Amino acid sequence: MGRKLFGGVSQAVLAVWALLIIAPLIWTLLASFKSNGEIFGDALQLPGELRWDNWARAWERANVGRYLLNTVIVVFFGVAGTMLLSSMAAYVLARFRFPGNRLIYFLFVSGMAFPVFLALVPLFFVVDGLGLLNTHVGLVLVYIAYSLPFTIFFLTSFFRGLPDAVAEAAMIDGASYTRTFFQVMLPMAKPGMVSLTIFNVLGQWNQYLLPLVLLPGDKSNWVITQGIADISTIAGYEADWPALFAALSMTVLPVVVAYIVFQRHIQSGLTSGAVK
Amino acid sequence: MSPTRRDVLRGLGLAALATPLAACVTTGRDTAPSPTPSAAATSTNNPLGVDATRRLEVVIFSGGNGDKYAVDLHEAAYRRAYPKAEIKHVATQKVGTQLRPRFIAGDVPDVVNNSGPEALDLQSLVQEGHLADLTPLFEAPSLAFPDRKVKDTLVGGAYENSLIDGVPRVLQYTVAHRALWYNAKLFEAKGWTVPRTWAEFNALGEEAKKAGIALFAYPGQVGPFYQLWNLVYSAAKVGGNKVIIDIDNLADGAWTAEPVRQAVAAWAQVQKDYGDKAYFGLDHTQTQVKHLQDKVLFYPCGSWLENEMAKDKPDTFEYAIAPVPSITAADALPYEAIMIGVSEAFFVAAKGKNPQGGLDYLRMMLSREGARGYTEMTKNLTIVNGLVDGLKLTSAVNSAAKAQEAAGKNTITDARFETWYKELFDHGQTQTNSVMAGRITADQFCENMQKKAGELKADSSIAKQTRTV
Amino acid sequence: MRRHGFVAGFLLLPVVLYGVFVISPYVQAFQIALTDWRGVSAKLNFVGLDNFRRMFGNETFWQAIRNHAVLLIAMPLVTVLLALLFAYLLNVAGGSRGGTMTGVRGSGFYRVVFFLPQVLAVAVVGVLFKAVYRPDASGVVNGALVKLGMEPVGWLTDQRLALWSIIAVMVWQAVGFYVVLFSAGMAAIPRDVFEAAALDGASRTRLFFSITLPLLWDTVQVGWIYLGIAAFDGFALVNVLSIEQGGPDGATTVLATEIYKNAFGYSRFGYASALGVALFFLTLTFAALTMRVTRRERIVY
Repeated sequence: MGRKLFGGVSQAVLAVWALLIIAPLIWTLLASFKSNGEIFGDALQLPGELRWDNWARAWERANVGRYLLNTVIVVFFGVAGTMLLSSMAAYVLARFRFPGNRLIYFLFVSGMAFPVFLALVPLFFVVDGLGLLNTHVGLVLVYIAYSLPFTIFFLTSFFRGLPDAVAEAAMIDGASYTRTFFQVMLPMAKPGMVSLTIFNVLGQWNQYLLPLVLLPGDKSNWVITQGIADISTIAGYEADWPALFAALSMTVLPVVVAYIVFQRHIQSGLTSGAVK
Repeated sequence: MSPTRRDVLRGLGLAALATPLAACVTTGRDTAPSPTPSAAATSTNNPLGVDATRRLEVVIFSGGNGDKYAVDLHEAAYRRAYPKAEIKHVATQKVGTQLRPRFIAGDVPDVVNNSGPEALDLQSLVQEGHLADLTPLFEAPSLAFPDRKVKDTLVGGAYENSLIDGVPRVLQYTVAHRALWYNAKLFEAKGWTVPRTWAEFNALGEEAKKAGIALFAYPGQVGPFYQLWNLVYSAAKVGGNKVIIDIDNLADGAWTAEPVRQAVAAWAQVQKDYGDKAYFGLDHTQTQVKHLQDKVLFYPCGSWLENEMAKDKPDTFEYAIAPVPSITAADALPYEAIMIGVSEAFFVAAKGKNPQGGLDYLRMMLSREGARGYTEMTKNLTIVNGLVDGLKLTSAVNSAAKAQEAAGKNTITDARFETWYKELFDHGQTQTNSVMAGRITADQFCENMQKKAGELKADSSIAKQTRTV
Repeated sequence: MRRHGFVAGFLLLPVVLYGVFVISPYVQAFQIALTDWRGVSAKLNFVGLDNFRRMFGNETFWQAIRNHAVLLIAMPLVTVLLALLFAYLLNVAGGSRGGTMTGVRGSGFYRVVFFLPQVLAVAVVGVLFKAVYRPDASGVVNGALVKLGMEPVGWLTDQRLALWSIIAVMVWQAVGFYVVLFSAGMAAIPRDVFEAAALDGASRTRLFFSITLPLLWDTVQVGWIYLGIAAFDGFALVNVLSIEQGGPDGATTVLATEIYKNAFGYSRFGYASALGVALFFLTLTFAALTMRVTRRERIVY
């Protein structure tokens, strides 16, 4: 009896939360087919017809295809670089004693606490001075630099938790430090690497302030969040809300589809990575 | 680099970083060459001395009017005049965020439409010598009326509005009428007349309430400044333009003056009796959609309104402008008085690569095809007089023109503290929402505003400006 | 020697990149905090600690601090509690089946859905919830309320509700991640621990408090720190959702909003940088304190 009641209540609680998540997303999708009048009418009403022209307008104005491609390129190299450099630094910081170890570690970790846009103006000049303004290379390097604190923080604790015996055995077999790292320790850290890769993909995919300042020029270089902001502002001035929601749907859909396809890997990655 | 900076770094225990840092950013750039491009020889055809081959970069704030007008009209005109010059066009909604670093770096565009919520602070640009003196432009022969100087082709007040510390530096391009907007067709259908006194206004509120319509609404989420304008202009109606001039000059007691208190109290009462609190959470376009749906009777805004809402306007709606009803029987300005002001601030960068080209670009904006075309495309009037004959204007603009005629000399001046002291203006937006929602009284509103104005007045890092008219 | 070369070689690139793109701009931001820089000048004019004096005398600053305090307590607390509850239901509450602890029926589906908000950009979430919270019947929530015959609520315009409405969005987005995190922790708890306790007749509630929670403490602590740091940000949501960017009457303002306004709205870069410095030390203090307070004996099982 208690068991049945418990099961019922649990189901209800879970279902309510699931509804809270799905409802706004469905609403957005529906809104992308509505007219302005319908969007500001009854919220629970369905669109009168499927207005695909909203999507066409959004595609054209927000240049979604181009921006998605740019974002994929930037995020791919950004995350790859982040993971490589972070794992190298974290490994050394976690497992080697040397003067300055704590200082460097603390310097990296404190970076998690600083609000990014405070550094925006000085950062602009650093990037400009290196001739990397308005380039994807510049943005990638900055993404890597700003992802280091968080990634190193988690990976360090991960590497600390790995057993010493394996590394020692490899060293006794005559493997160099570098080889030991890439062939023995890194594979052992795979669960942690996977989860942090996912984090970084999400973080860099959603980054907005950095591209805004570092890619101010040519619109063809823009990433998707800039496109969203652009059309969101335009919607504000032209009252074109349907196009805004269409553009939102366009950016959300591929992410959601990708997530559903990969969710097994994502969750198992997180699962194995999360436990120290 | 001044020695102090190194000392400060040392004081922070960061001496080691001082050396490599000196190479970058906020310093180091002051030695960079900032060439003052030499002008080409001037002639009758080229009064501003433009080098016909030099590149021109134009940055346009792409807001309600978009940026198409710049590409299709003004840049096209420039290209025709100087076919060899390359034109770079940049559209943005965040002028300041994008351009600020470039101004420090010395890589500045030539012409900037400095508008929108993230515009650059003009005063600090002036202090750094970034804004070109527009005198040559105003003195040059007009392209629209070749026998006149540019200065003499503009509506009254346009030149005065361009002055910063007595030198013309900003060209405010468009003219807008601000007061209350309503649906003329709805009034006709209901047999209502536009209220002239506050008592009539209230009586109409009762009628509207019965019909399920809010007498008045302003957008509290993004556009509370529409109502802040409205409050300030209403105060000017009660106490005359001196009210606004005092506010702009940060005069002691400017905000606590009786006309301000009366206007604020009157509007807060209307909101309480006939308003709807939902609008505190809506932005301007959302509120404007509601207005088009006849859920709101009067909406405080400017004459660009119809262009902004053109796509959504049903045939049953016709925009018309109404002056704010007289608040007291002893108002200093008559009922007909409305606010006529200028906006869309263009400037030419003094340290750009092509300031002469920039000035000539502005001159082309003020040409017949430039200005008339702009009005045709964006439905906004420009500051150039006498170019719109025969144009099909929106009912909003036509109605505004009639209202201007009725107002005659009784126009309400523009409030400049919006650009002079943006902090005060933003504080005003917060306070406006607060007083309209009934969280503070009109007296508290006045006191809070006066306090902020006093703080700014005492702040030596903020450059002060004054006006007499 | 080989060892030193290795250490240096592995650290070189990350440290250089970090120094150039992160540390150097921030150091300059610290410098700017001591000036009255207005954003376009190439020279810095030092004004000592003026900006900090101004900050401590500013009511909005303290309002932001108070809001951070509320965020700091409420947001992690609600998120962690909900996530623990869901994780428990999804992993353990179904009882032992075929030798492993399982969740209630449909666990797989819920797990996928709950994580979904995590993959949405904050900018997107902001725009989304603007529609959800709209103050009249066209809002998703108020539309439902009106259907039920209730008055629409000013979620973001009522100054008593506004901050909580924004906290709700943060929780909405964060919970899924912590469900997965805690699920992992629970999966790692050997099932015989549960079985032994269940044989002793312990109720599900007791199981949770006496076994699950203590064994999860480390994971909860990591989550708490991370959520706490997130509570010091909040910029994107406040900026998009709140009225007057931090209103009404400053009810939802956070330091990041004030920094943004002062820097990019009023060109007070010096003052904005001083606020940033304050934010920096607050976050750091929080992280250090949490680690100290929540440190416990590790439970070995």
